[in-house]
Amino acid sequence: MTTTKPRREVARPPFWRDIRVLRVVGQVVAVVIVLLLLRWLYNNLVASFDRLGIALNFDFLTSQTRFRIAYYNEFDPSSPVWQMVLVGIKNTFLAGFFGIILASVIGLIVGVSRLSDNWLVARLATIYVEIFRNIPPLVIIIFFGFALFFFGPFPILSESWELSLGGNNLLILNKDRWAVPGILATGGLTVFWMILAVGVVATYIVWRWRTRVFDDTGQPHHRVLWSVGVLLGFFLVGYLATGTPLEMSWPVITEDRRLFQGGFAFNWGFISLTAALGLYTASHIGEIVRGSILAVHGGQSEAANALALSAFQRYRFVVLPQAMRIALPPTINQYLNLVKNTSLGVAVGYAEITALTRTSIGNGRPTFQSIIILMAVYLGFSLVISLILNIVNRRFTLVER
Amino acid sequence: MKRSKLLVALAALALVFAACTDAGGGDDTTTTADAGGEGNGDGAPAGGRLAAVQEAGVIVCGVNETLPGFGVIDDEGNFSGFDVDFCRVVAAGILGDAEAVEFFPLTAEARFPALQSGEIDLMIRNTTWTALRDGQEGATFLHTTFYDGQGMMVPADTGFTELEDLANANICVLSGTTTELNLTAVLDSRGIPFNPIVFEDNTQLRPAYEEGQCEAWTSDASQLAAFKASIEDEGGAEQFIMAEIFSKEPLGPVVADGDSEWAQAVEWTVMATVQAWEFGIDSSNVDGFQSDHPDVQNLLGAGTDEAAGLDLPADFAVQIITQVGNYEEIYNRHIPGIGIALEGTPNDLWTNGGLQYVPPYH
Amino acid sequence: MTAGSPSIASGSLTGWVKRSLFKNWWSGLITIVLLPIVLLAGYRAFLFFFVNGQWDAVTRNLTLFMQGTFPRAQQWRLTAQILAFALAFGMAAGTSRASARDRAQEAGLPFHEETARATLARMWSLVGFIALLLYFATIDETGNPFNPFLLVGSAVVIAIIGFQAKRMPRRIRNLGWLLTAVLLLLGFQVVSGFGADDWIPMGLILGIAAYAVTPTPFAGALPRVVTRLVAAVVVAFTVRFVYSAVDQPGIGWDEWSGLHLTLMVSAISIILAFPVGLLLALGRRSSLPALRIMSTAYIELIRGVPLITLLFMGQFVLQQLLPQGTDLSRVTRAIAAITLFTAAYVAEIVRGGLQALPKGQTEAAQALGLSPAKTTRLIVLPQALRAVIPAMVGQFISLFKDSSLLTIIGITEFLGVREIAHAQADFRGVSIAETLVFVAIGYWAFSFAMSRESQRLERRLRVSR
Repeated sequence: MTTTKPRREVARPPFWRDIRVLRVVGQVVAVVIVLLLLRWLYNNLVASFDRLGIALNFDFLTSQTRFRIAYYNEFDPSSPVWQMVLVGIKNTFLAGFFGIILASVIGLIVGVSRLSDNWLVARLATIYVEIFRNIPPLVIIIFFGFALFFFGPFPILSESWELSLGGNNLLILNKDRWAVPGILATGGLTVFWMILAVGVVATYIVWRWRTRVFDDTGQPHHRVLWSVGVLLGFFLVGYLATGTPLEMSWPVITEDRRLFQGGFAFNWGFISLTAALGLYTASHIGEIVRGSILAVHGGQSEAANALALSAFQRYRFVVLPQAMRIALPPTINQYLNLVKNTSLGVAVGYAEITALTRTSIGNGRPTFQSIIILMAVYLGFSLVISLILNIVNRRFTLVER
Repeated sequence: MKRSKLLVALAALALVFAACTDAGGGDDTTTTADAGGEGNGDGAPAGGRLAAVQEAGVIVCGVNETLPGFGVIDDEGNFSGFDVDFCRVVAAGILGDAEAVEFFPLTAEARFPALQSGEIDLMIRNTTWTALRDGQEGATFLHTTFYDGQGMMVPADTGFTELEDLANANICVLSGTTTELNLTAVLDSRGIPFNPIVFEDNTQLRPAYEEGQCEAWTSDASQLAAFKASIEDEGGAEQFIMAEIFSKEPLGPVVADGDSEWAQAVEWTVMATVQAWEFGIDSSNVDGFQSDHPDVQNLLGAGTDEAAGLDLPADFAVQIITQVGNYEEIYNRHIPGIGIALEGTPNDLWTNGGLQYVPPYH
Repeated sequence: MTAGSPSIASGSLTGWVKRSLFKNWWSGLITIVLLPIVLLAGYRAFLFFFVNGQWDAVTRNLTLFMQGTFPRAQQWRLTAQILAFALAFGMAAGTSRASARDRAQEAGLPFHEETARATLARMWSLVGFIALLLYFATIDETGNPFNPFLLVGSAVVIAIIGFQAKRMPRRIRNLGWLLTAVLLLLGFQVVSGFGADDWIPMGLILGIAAYAVTPTPFAGALPRVVTRLVAAVVVAFTVRFVYSAVDQPGIGWDEWSGLHLTLMVSAISIILAFPVGLLLALGRRSSLPALRIMSTAYIELIRGVPLITLLFMGQFVLQQLLPQGTDLSRVTRAIAAITLFTAAYVAEIVRGGLQALPKGQTEAAQALGLSPAKTTRLIVLPQALRAVIPAMVGQFISLFKDSSLLTIIGITEFLGVREIAHAQADFRGVSIAETLVFVAIGYWAFSFAMSRESQRLERRLRVSR
């Protein structure tokens, strides 16, 4: 028996009511409107620039900078502007990097402290969070510049506090800079870096091997000791094989107590900015950490107590690993905010990218293009931080069955 | 299937409309000096700014609100200062009322854009007249009301007396001003290494200097004098301003390019204060001042119904002197308070050896 | 019975100290180390605030800090604004209390009326700050100290009067919200002026209200809509007529400064940013790829840059992006930049609320045959927006703190008044720390009160769900 498949009658509504057509047309219209708007803005911009006689290009990047950068004597004012931009990026990165580390450490401590049994510790942590969270970062930055350096206890350069050991200064503190010993390269470092790179790979392999040994046999893995040992070994091999190309650079103040040489120095603007932003962001991170610890199921803590784990072990092995998973996405947000808040560095005379851009605009560079570059720099930072931390986040997320 | 249709449609449309080029669009660049900069003001009202101001009955004057001696706000919210008084001079001359001014506080970076966009009619904000600004910022600089220069101040106990002593020193400077560029230019040309620390404003800078964060402070000499007096009055360390003035900073009113009628009106009202001083007319004797000299009579508005074709009311100078004062009075009202007397400085009258010299009123 | 340390008597002071401060050896160690530091810091703070501090710079310039260079002769406008806002806040509080009570009654849950004392206790930072201002006003020899007390007293009385809106019967509950909106707008316009061109916001509000309220005895949908539209248009044009007749210029927002400007800029920006953010959030969740990509691009772009770069763009470039002759004032440009910035963050907040809504809600709406637009309007948005109110308050707090950046572009707001104060002859190098601390306390008082309020809202929303 043959049956013909019934022909499906698809009743199509008229095209002006057909949802499929409307969707496509709607999107096309929306895109066209947006593009027209952008086009209109751009035309206005070009017309304004023509009228004002400004060039709408990026040629200014190769012109001379004509000003000096604070605490960066190697920068020659005749260098092109794009080098100034690189210096700004480097300074922003340094402030952001150390600020993030500071904020994370303090934020973790504060978050845990707020839940402490010790009444004094818990109250202090609460006061700290409630104060720092509710004051604008600009006010905090200005305050730190004052409190720490202008009116703070540190002496001026010629009377610095020096902590020395055997004739070399381990630490120099004054109002202007804080210095620690640095490492100076006296020879070519390429071979050294290559050996060190091999060493990092070897360390990773050793880590994995010890973990596998532990999983298989149950013997204590001591993987930290093994890895550090391997890394140090490669470091020494590289160091000796390339003829000891590194040497310590001790910070020293010259005879006339005027000049400062050597070592690795942090200037006061950097320290104020990093400390202020670190503490400000730490108050937010502290709240996040506290919320995430509270979000961990109470039964976990009770089980840990039943197993007679000390408070420290309970936090380290049970609560915090689970809490970190919850805390990570909002913390990424806070890190991004910290990097964006470094744009306030001009309040303490720190030459990060926003301050340098403003100086260069004040000295005749085109405003629009400079701000575009500035925004691109911050977008770059945001993108990189988000990418890195999202990878970390994905590693941490619970794999649900 | 649907998505690719959509993409094709979008791509086609985008191509079509990118192909429509607008006249004046695209990347054509106009030749300018390589540093780029803003050019002619595009906010000039049709019919001239003078007519617009007379119709509006008020002058919008860009000033500094945080500069001792030149532009400050007291706790009642009133503006006062040397530059502020000259805004009042212009208002008294053009509109007959020294209070017909709207003060528009400006930061250093916002001042030229505000002038170019026409937001303000006039800017008297301790702005230095330089060739670059004349050419690029679309600004016209008028009679210099204050001849200043850039100086360097150090604490007296450092013993520094010349710029060479400042090798490797931290030097405090305000951002966005000619001060920064001058500092770099001068010290680099002499091969003196230094470390500039750039601040937003004097409220941050001054404690940095006083507490030793910077070893030297560079700014206009008038400002250094003000802060020297202030620091020493409050019991701080004694200060020393180096003898060397290493740049010329002629300060005066600024208007937007392209409106010479307005520029001349402003200029002649400002210059009337100096001319009155030269004639010995001040606010105490202007009412009954008699003289046979035709220039004096012209200035005081006797005998002509329009001041020399300048579109100013005939009695403009009388209004200015009565309501605000002559140059000497305006100067003495504000500047000795920050530590600079009039005698012997470039701001003295030319007959006393200074530089204040105005064209004659005939 | 195990041998061990005897049970610590609870309730006694020594017991509490032992339990809380010296529970074990390292807790005790921390206490011993921290306590002297805390006491020393407290002592130094006491000295700073009450003994050594030179607060003249603050007390003499108190009006500058509060209202900046607002013309003193027009101060009555600010007084009227404060009173109008007090009434509006009172009405809003009363109306929302009444709604909460009704919702609780419907759900069968108990409703605890919060006493006035509890409200004051929650807002202690704001109350304390106002008390501090009143105290400074009494020290200040120049102004009349009676006026601030009168102002604060009348504002409180008027707010309490407005709060009686909680007694309004349910049918006209929406009238309470309408009156709040009208009062807020009146308060704004009593300062900015009732010029002939300013009728639009009021016309919009009253027109929409007329649209909603007009009785329509007709049967068909079209006559109903037409009647309502006609009513709305009539009301709008009446408003326009009234404004044209009055035509009183006021003090535009260019001349606002000080704390007044800070508060107003934050409020205006978040109100303007809300619809934009809502559209962006809906766009980001849209199934149409073009809308989704454009919304996401905007949001990620704006969230990736600091506010200061957008403020610079607004100040120096915005005029060039618009046709020649458009004259946007300084504050307008700043508000535009802040609004665009906030809209991206509001979009993310609203998106979070939309995502948190259970899918079952939309599915049930579809099962009932509601169109997507109706679903969004009647089911999704009310629930999602109610859920994100705490986060929106948090965003407002952020905005309030970020308004301190306006100093950098030359607009004098609360932090910027410091510069003016320190240029005055008497305060040129003096009391720098005192003014900074005062500004910090001011920001802190408002932010803290608002964050407490947002926490309370969060708790209440969770309970009532």
